[in-house]
Amino acid sequence: MPTRGNKKKQAMPIKKGPSQTLEKLKDRKITADIDKTIAFIDEILGVNVDLTIRKFHVFGQYDAVIIYFCNMVNPNVINLDILKPLMYMPPHLQGKHIPIDQLKDVLHNDALYHSDCKYESYLSMLIESILRGGTLVAVDGLEEVFLFETRSIDKRSIDQPATEQVIRGPREGFIEPLGTNISLIRYRLQSPDLRIETMELGLRTKSKVAVCYMEGLTNPELVKEVNARLSKIDIDGILDSGYIEQFIEDNHYSPFPQVQYTERPDKVVANLLEGRVSILVDGSPLALLVPTVFSQFYQTIEDYTERFLLMSSIRLARLIALMFSLIFPAIYVSIISFNPELIPTEFAVAVAGGRAGVPFPAVVEVLIIEISMEILREATIRLPQQVGGALSIVGVLVIGQAAVSAGFSSPITIVIIALTTIGSFATPAYNAALALRLLRFPLIIMAGIFGLYGVMIGLILIANHLLSLKSFGVPYLSPLVPAEFQGMKDLLIRGPLWWMNKRPSFLQPVDTDRVNKQSFEELEASTTNALDPKNDKNQQGG
Amino acid sequence: MRIKWWIPIVKAICCLCLVVPFLTGCWDRLEIEERAVVLGVSIDAVSSDDANEEEDEVSHISGSIPAPSKGMVRVAVQIALPGRIPLGPGEGGGGKGSAGETVWVIDVVGHSIDDAFMNLQQQVSSKLFFGHLRVIVVSEKLARRGLENVNDYFRRNPEVRRMAWLMVAKGNAIKFMTATPQLERVPALYLMSTLDEGIRMGKFPKDYIGIFWSNVSKKGQEGFLPYVEMKKEQNVGIIGLAYFNDAKMVGATKPLEIAGYLGVKGVNPAGYRVYIQLDGAQESVMTNATHRRSKIKVSIIDNVPQFTIDIAIELNLEAKLNENVKINDPRILQSIEKKQEGLSVLFYSNLIKKTQVKGADIFGFGEYVRAFKPQFWHAHVKTAEGWRSMYKESKFEVKVSLKIRRIGMKAQ
Amino acid sequence: MESRQITVIQAAAILVSTIIGVGVLALPLFAVQAADSGAPLVTMLGVLLAVIGLVLVTLLSMRFPNHTFIQYSELIIGKSLARIGSVLIIIFFSILTSLTAREFGEVVVTSVLRSTPVEVTVIVMLLLAAISTRNNIITFAYIHTFYFPLLLVPVLLIAALSLKNAEVINLLPVWGTDPKKMLKGMLTIAALFQGTFVLTAVIPAMKKPSKAMKASLWGILIAGGLYVIIVAAAVSVFGSEEIKQLLWPTLELAKATSLPANILERLDAAFLAVWVTAVFTTLFSSYYLTIYFISHLFRLREHKQFSYFLLPFVFVTAMLPQNIVQMYEIIESVGRIGLYITIVYPTLLLFISILRKKRGNPIANQMVDPNR
Repeated sequence: MPTRGNKKKQAMPIKKGPSQTLEKLKDRKITADIDKTIAFIDEILGVNVDLTIRKFHVFGQYDAVIIYFCNMVNPNVINLDILKPLMYMPPHLQGKHIPIDQLKDVLHNDALYHSDCKYESYLSMLIESILRGGTLVAVDGLEEVFLFETRSIDKRSIDQPATEQVIRGPREGFIEPLGTNISLIRYRLQSPDLRIETMELGLRTKSKVAVCYMEGLTNPELVKEVNARLSKIDIDGILDSGYIEQFIEDNHYSPFPQVQYTERPDKVVANLLEGRVSILVDGSPLALLVPTVFSQFYQTIEDYTERFLLMSSIRLARLIALMFSLIFPAIYVSIISFNPELIPTEFAVAVAGGRAGVPFPAVVEVLIIEISMEILREATIRLPQQVGGALSIVGVLVIGQAAVSAGFSSPITIVIIALTTIGSFATPAYNAALALRLLRFPLIIMAGIFGLYGVMIGLILIANHLLSLKSFGVPYLSPLVPAEFQGMKDLLIRGPLWWMNKRPSFLQPVDTDRVNKQSFEELEASTTNALDPKNDKNQQGG
Repeated sequence: MRIKWWIPIVKAICCLCLVVPFLTGCWDRLEIEERAVVLGVSIDAVSSDDANEEEDEVSHISGSIPAPSKGMVRVAVQIALPGRIPLGPGEGGGGKGSAGETVWVIDVVGHSIDDAFMNLQQQVSSKLFFGHLRVIVVSEKLARRGLENVNDYFRRNPEVRRMAWLMVAKGNAIKFMTATPQLERVPALYLMSTLDEGIRMGKFPKDYIGIFWSNVSKKGQEGFLPYVEMKKEQNVGIIGLAYFNDAKMVGATKPLEIAGYLGVKGVNPAGYRVYIQLDGAQESVMTNATHRRSKIKVSIIDNVPQFTIDIAIELNLEAKLNENVKINDPRILQSIEKKQEGLSVLFYSNLIKKTQVKGADIFGFGEYVRAFKPQFWHAHVKTAEGWRSMYKESKFEVKVSLKIRRIGMKAQ
Repeated sequence: MESRQITVIQAAAILVSTIIGVGVLALPLFAVQAADSGAPLVTMLGVLLAVIGLVLVTLLSMRFPNHTFIQYSELIIGKSLARIGSVLIIIFFSILTSLTAREFGEVVVTSVLRSTPVEVTVIVMLLLAAISTRNNIITFAYIHTFYFPLLLVPVLLIAALSLKNAEVINLLPVWGTDPKKMLKGMLTIAALFQGTFVLTAVIPAMKKPSKAMKASLWGILIAGGLYVIIVAAAVSVFGSEEIKQLLWPTLELAKATSLPANILERLDAAFLAVWVTAVFTTLFSSYYLTIYFISHLFRLREHKQFSYFLLPFVFVTAMLPQNIVQMYEIIESVGRIGLYITIVYPTLLLFISILRKKRGNPIANQMVDPNR
């Protein structure tokens, strides 16, 4: 009973729309007559300007045709690697007559220079291949056509990741084409255990989706579950990895992200090595990482590249900023409106003075300023970069100052909101910061109703929600709850690398060890003072 | 299986019903600037005849709901004026320095404290807020009449902090509210810091209102309060300890006798200076106590508690009045110590005797009896009254040992 | 059946955060009323009594590691008798829930939110608990573990800060005054530990039920230790006579302390705010226990549907006491009755099960599935 109706819905896929043409052609094969083939393709794709259909003669004898989308292929490859060898008979075959039944083998084995070449006879496959940027060569008299992988799309160069910059660490970020992204991962992880499974998702976009994991390390159950969830996605278009995230997350109504995204290949590799699964989508520069726990959102890749003592303190600062951005305005409201006895007397009297001309209660005032801050922030993203930078800083200062002198808000409110906003920028993960920013508003309202008591109630609700969240079965707050000693070393502080000699156990990896503790101890024991001044040969004479 | 379509609607209605009450909420929201922040309160006893004329009948109507017959009080409050105290340090030349303008002092009369505050609230538009009440001054007259009502009112009010100061003023208490000392922006805070700094400099024991209440409640101890007086230039001086029997003031000590109290209790840091006359009146030196330690032992002899008080004080030599005395000899220091020890024993004993006469055991000797001789306590004392009479008969033996440790930067 | 995941630490944390709750606010008053300066001693004795009760309950539960209390009581004394017991337990815990909510509502309304209706504070707390009870027992354990440090910090902080004003002499003589009153005080304090009964619901979900005894001892000792610390701190700061004049001495203790360097000038409102979590966990436990038992009594797989169903009843019960003095009287007498239900009844069951040689199956290995 609980699953009423579900079965039915699953069984019925969404309507196929115009691709029905392909569906109709599903079982039709081409014939030996290339004119028929041309007519077929022309009928389906001929409307498009960029479709090139060029007839020629193979070895000067056989009628042939080459078909491709001219903007999706590399013309050099077409001209030199396909057309040229097909037109000129190789020297060792010259003079010989090639019968039609051997032609296919000869072309494949002796003539063509292009490596990625296969035969195909189903019409629907031909269309799909051309759409993807392939090139089709049909020779009159052959029942199969040649399909060449000639896709060449313009892509941007590999840049610094825009949202995850580091001071110390690699400077490469993912770009849109899946192939490049996979190459970026593979060159960091040259291991035979790295498995990349691909599938196509999206009924119309046919986006390629790659699932990466480490064989013999990642828990196979996890890989199975990821694949199962992915295969259930039935949507017309996947334009970014964000589409996939929204389908595979566990709780769709939670403000907290349960899937992490990154545009750093090194981060993907680090997570693969911890035992996570990464999902890449063709056309999206952001890779998804599952399962995700909350602590990942305030960790950065830099935490691990710089020395542990420094980064531990910086991580603590980041955590404080995260808490700030959530509760600071709410606490301010409750102290001003409910419990002014908590702050020192002189300050309280002064604050009362600062607020004396403000017409609104603190909660309304804070809400107004907060909302205008959010608007400003949103506007800054939309504006062209040249204008945006100026607006963000000047805008806040000018509007804040003006609001105070207009008696619209008290100076302390501006300080509080500024601190909060800055605090929310310190959280490395944009989506987590967004969640906390969103939750700030209900907390402010709770503070306006019940004061500190209300803030606490709100926080308890948020905490309980976090505690009940799960990402692929992993409790969201692990390794804090359920407590796990190994994971604690990388929770609030970032322990030295040799402390964290086990992979996080909440991911239940097949292979648990990652640092050989013994060898580190040997390293420690065997260091010598190679350049001790007393051994300095140059100084000994004097 | 048909889905019951009305279930979501019922759920939504239930949610609405729960949420709607909250929208009417913000019951307790009261902005800080809408509160009349009371920083100090003074309470004077007034004769009923004078007061009746100016009294408003707020909490009672003459005749119908009778008011209590106990004498009337005049309550004055110091309310901070928002806007007059600038935010942040200084604010250029704007801060005028005149403290009188930062607060507003108003006074009313009433039959009880609560009644008086009711009358006051009737006059003040904003709600009175006691969360920042730091100083309560009561006049000696009222203190001698009894502070039960003051204690009860402020103890019951959850806004009042236990770290506030309650003090007894010589003369009228309202003077302390209207005074405008120059050091602080807010007069009440100056009054408070006088006492807080006194603790830090070893001039006064910790005696916040909470501690006073605890002492009053204890069976083997009586409460005491700072006894203050208005000096010239609108300044405040601590002129002794006002000691109580239950909630009634029964006497006050001299200022130096505060040192006696601190010595008997062994309170640190120490900070009182005394003259020691050596051979002649000319040859005096002054010493400054730096560290006190005391040990109180109790034994029961003939059904009367006998206390032995061992007081050890470390001193620094601060000044001498003429150059005749040379302080480069340990023997001279020893003789100073001897001299002062003799004086001190007398001094401490006198102080204890003074409180014994009134039956006001501000030192808490009774607590020692209760703690260490529980059988005796149960057999002979039992109650606070019992101890009050027992205290008058108790015997005391004071032993003082003094050590001069340092003589400052001068060699002799 | 839910899977077995709860560890010993989690079980101990559940116990501590269940025990520590709104009772702590008035605890020094109860203790001092019983024994004056002997309050810490009487608290310790009360803890001891509670330990004995808990040990018996734990022993009983460990005999039937796969069953909940409702189920094995039926095995031991037969269905009809056991059902009466179960219904009593359910009624008792729903009353306990409502009284806890009411007591905290009163505290909040008296001290912080003075013009907010008590109904609102009570319903907010109950709603919070009701929403949270819709989780399974594993999340229940997570929630308790998460808040566990939040209970320790404020108590220890206030105890440490009040050391400044503490006077040892207030704690003497340690054995107090009147031994006759002490027995009553012991019972009152032991009654504050009734939440420990939640262990009967936890043990069937424990990874290793054989270690339940360790968990229960650790849990009750930590909670008892905190109780003794609070009582000792309050008595040493205020003296026993002053405490008799205070309704919530622990709250007053927070008022009398301030953080160094005046970060917060007084801690009472902040303490009360943090204490919301402590009260929430207590309320959560008793509420959860109630609906958990109801669902087991009716042999239902899901307990979720009861969480809102129970709310109106608990709320109305909470509103029954007319004033705060009457409320404390009811709390005390309900606590007494509770001792029979949570200690005497399980003890009887334990003896009967020993006599009749009834025993549940030891946990079979098939239940432990590491991946689930």
